[in-house]
Amino acid sequence: MNKQVELKNKRVIASNHVKLGQKNQKGQTYTDINDIFYKAKQTPNFLTGSEVIRAAIKVASVGTSVAYPITPQSEAAALIGELYAEGYVDEYFRGESEFAVMGQCAGAAFGGHRVFTTTAGPGTLRAMENFPMWAGARLPIQVCVTCRGINSPLSIQPDTLEMYYLLETGMLIWHAETAQDLFDFILKGFIVAEQPDVHVPIAVCCDGFFVTHTKDTVDLPPDDLCLTPYDPYRNPQPVMDMETAPIRMMRDPFIMKSNYISYATHASWQQEVKAAVERSRKHTIPLLDGLIDEENTDREILIVGSGTAVSQAREAIRLLEEEGIKAGLVKIKTIRPFPYEEVRQATKNAKHIFVPEFNLAGWLAREIKANIPDNERVYVGPHVAGGMTMPSEVIVEEIKKHLGMEVATRGTLG
Amino acid sequence: MSKEKIVLCEDLADVMPPEYHELVESATFGNQDRGWKDIGSSKELIEQHSLCAGCPESIAFRYILASLPTPEDTVFVGSTGCTSLVFPHVAVHNIHSLFGNQNAVASGLKRTLKSRFPDVEKDVVVLAGDGATVDIGLDMTMQSWFRQEKFTTICFDNELYANTGGQESGLMQKGFVAKMAPKGKNFEKVRLAEIAREAGCAYVAVLTVSKPNRVEQAIKNAVLVAREVGPTFVQLYTPCILEIGKQSMEGLDEMKDAESIGGRFVQKEYITDEAQKLLDSIKEETKARKQAAKKPVNA
Amino acid sequence: MSHYEVKAGPEAFLPPAAASMGNVLPDPGEAHIGGKIVPEEEAYEKAARMVLGAKVPTIFPGPLVLWKWNDHVAEEAKAIRELALEAPMRIIPMADYRPKYPKINQEVEINPNHPNLTIWHNKIDVCIFFGVHCHMANLSLKMIRGGTNCYTIAMCAMAGDEDACLSFRDADLKMINKLKATIKKLKSEGVESQAEPFTQFVMGRSGTIVAPA
Ligand SMILES: Cc1ncc(C[n+]2csc(CCOP(=O)(O)OP(=O)(O)O)c2C)c(N)n1
Ligand code: SF4
Ligand SMILES: [Mg+2]
Repeated sequence: MNKQVELKNKRVIASNHVKLGQKNQKGQTYTDINDIFYKAKQTPNFLTGSEVIRAAIKVASVGTSVAYPITPQSEAAALIGELYAEGYVDEYFRGESEFAVMGQCAGAAFGGHRVFTTTAGPGTLRAMENFPMWAGARLPIQVCVTCRGINSPLSIQPDTLEMYYLLETGMLIWHAETAQDLFDFILKGFIVAEQPDVHVPIAVCCDGFFVTHTKDTVDLPPDDLCLTPYDPYRNPQPVMDMETAPIRMMRDPFIMKSNYISYATHASWQQEVKAAVERSRKHTIPLLDGLIDEENTDREILIVGSGTAVSQAREAIRLLEEEGIKAGLVKIKTIRPFPYEEVRQATKNAKHIFVPEFNLAGWLAREIKANIPDNERVYVGPHVAGGMTMPSEVIVEEIKKHLGMEVATRGTLG
Repeated sequence: MSKEKIVLCEDLADVMPPEYHELVESATFGNQDRGWKDIGSSKELIEQHSLCAGCPESIAFRYILASLPTPEDTVFVGSTGCTSLVFPHVAVHNIHSLFGNQNAVASGLKRTLKSRFPDVEKDVVVLAGDGATVDIGLDMTMQSWFRQEKFTTICFDNELYANTGGQESGLMQKGFVAKMAPKGKNFEKVRLAEIAREAGCAYVAVLTVSKPNRVEQAIKNAVLVAREVGPTFVQLYTPCILEIGKQSMEGLDEMKDAESIGGRFVQKEYITDEAQKLLDSIKEETKARKQAAKKPVNA
Repeated sequence: MSHYEVKAGPEAFLPPAAASMGNVLPDPGEAHIGGKIVPEEEAYEKAARMVLGAKVPTIFPGPLVLWKWNDHVAEEAKAIRELALEAPMRIIPMADYRPKYPKINQEVEINPNHPNLTIWHNKIDVCIFFGVHCHMANLSLKMIRGGTNCYTIAMCAMAGDEDACLSFRDADLKMINKLKATIKKLKSEGVESQAEPFTQFVMGRSGTIVAPA
């Protein structure tokens, strides 16, 4: 199982086939990702999550973006269209369905573009066949998933169940808590996903509405800087442009026909995709400052979460503190690769581990239970779904109830 | 890439298997006048594959590869089906991603290549079965035509799902008894050529692969019109001899029957005025070029 | 930090990917030996000793160096040839990655989908990968480790291959030449090549010109 990668002040090397300092057609200066985040002056802006996606893509040197309407990502996808009209994105159009959109994204990535798209809920599931295909084909496409409900009856409201379906696709899966995370993850996500040893797709997920449609203060670097463009030749597979050897090349040939092949090839291929996801740790740790954030993990009560559940947990911890109950917090930023070792370390002192989630499956709790010793310490919940909010008081109550403490009675919902 | 780059490194060339020597020495990359007549006298862009012996898809592949105007700058997009057994052995970059999404992939690919190589004509050609084109992928096939995506779609119409063992497809003839159509197919063969015309294709051709010169002309027309005018579509009858119970030698007769008067594959073309104008001017240019080449140099 | 030791097999029916066992790729200026990160210098020495100590050391040049698709690869191809002559090593090409139909000639070709066939047939005990795309290299390297006793050395032009027993990163012309120089130096110090005598095959358009022996 995975060991923790040492930091050693590593700098992530982005593509350097374009000279840093050179300007693009829009007058933006190609800048190293580290300099964009850690050297350039950051200015606070008050924006919705959708506007934050636009701000990130404006400086991301994206080649192709393909759009399709579905709440709550429609606004962001349309804003990227504006960027295209202004000349910040090379190609943009509306596809005919999410399944087609992801195929169009694949075509663009096979041809050597940096590709960005957005989807949500039913769109994610409609597109599903494409995600393991992207990963198997080593296409570093970024899809921003603004999570919403997926089952009948239809719901446009936030629910993170769809992330469960993404876990074994072979994609990197990062979960943004705030609009600031969303901005950072989108830009850093390109750089990590495109490393030649990683080179797999990335889903940057956020909770719909809570992140996409509320305004928040976000620190942004100047928009006259931009990422260096994708270099399609720093690729673990040949790019399909008829400019690279070998020309007798099918992406990707069937290797399971018994007349030529050992089945081991397919198994080895799958292992290689998983390995690529693991390799991303080395590049992600310095850029995201670790795969998890920890606060007071020496305490006996811990809340472990991802996405906006973390914000609610933080407030719950403050409320508990008022009552003299001390709890710590672990925020998980990357669901794939899962920070096994980090979570094991961070939870080693805990006696009670609570995992609040915006879905009824409890996939995060399952991941944690499967990977830490003495997993009866994990309390699966509290859960909400279908667009319900998760008031911090609910987390507080659930914790107190579980610990056998007195809880003020509460009216039923509705 | 230019044909000068399709060469081996001298210092390691002599360890390469013979087919690669042949490929760099006598394939027709970069030859403006390449065509089906090169078959037999030059290296073909296809190696041995595992289609059934005598499968007309095999000869169709050979004619198409011989007829591409510039294989050195062409990328194919395929789909799941019998064609995927051939694509690994084709000396042109090609993509298989899923079953039925070929025209979506090609849309993204063509736009990207156009954007990355604004000064080079990079042709994108889709080549997929009838199940892929008409049934599972019809939405994406047609939408790419609606959007006027500038690439060629070729459908290998064998009137059934061959790779999964002979099931009914939308392009199967009415009444044909097949797997999943146990009482005979009860609706007409989908009129894909007419759909293509109405959906915005600038050039449409339907034919069998019995006559190589006709296949060559259709493929050339389709690729050249797709460059300049808009989407193009070629439907080729490539009967699945295995599933209709023919011997390996009988494919040709089957195609000849199907293209004779009253048959399902009587040759037809739909060409827009704009496409026709382009094709006429190309014809003129080619004629002039060939005539100029014939003149003695010192005349 | 401890690491999963990547050594010559046969290791398992399906050996794990070293990255999934926690092995991490080297940084620029580094290499890995058996999964342990070492300074690049150390890896030249080890690779050279492994080549000299082998009975059937073989270079597997891949498509990126076999095809002259850009200007600088021709020099790398020349350097690969010189390295093979210096050691001496055999050269067996991985011309492309297709699952070749109906089969490869395992005496004179290697294919990433069943690399073990070529290794078994020729009894190759040490090999060097150069010019193979990382994804295909890693597929092969895992299968070789799974089913053969061949010691694998990857000269990767990008970030390195954890699934090789020894891997360089950022490999280029200079690095091939440096490996050659290291072999030469060791020989001058008295380390003798243990390679069995062989004839490098020569192929032409119509087939084998000089058969391997
Ligand atoms: C999503 C999906 N559904 C079904 C299949 C199974 N499948 C593979 S090939 C094929 C039939 C192909 O038929 P066609 O496109 O006509 O090509 P042919 O084999 O006849 O040349 C089917 C149904 C698949 N691979 N993927
Ligand atoms: S099954 Fe039919 S279409 Fe497929 S290779 Fe055989 S004859 Fe051709
Ligand atoms: Mg068919």
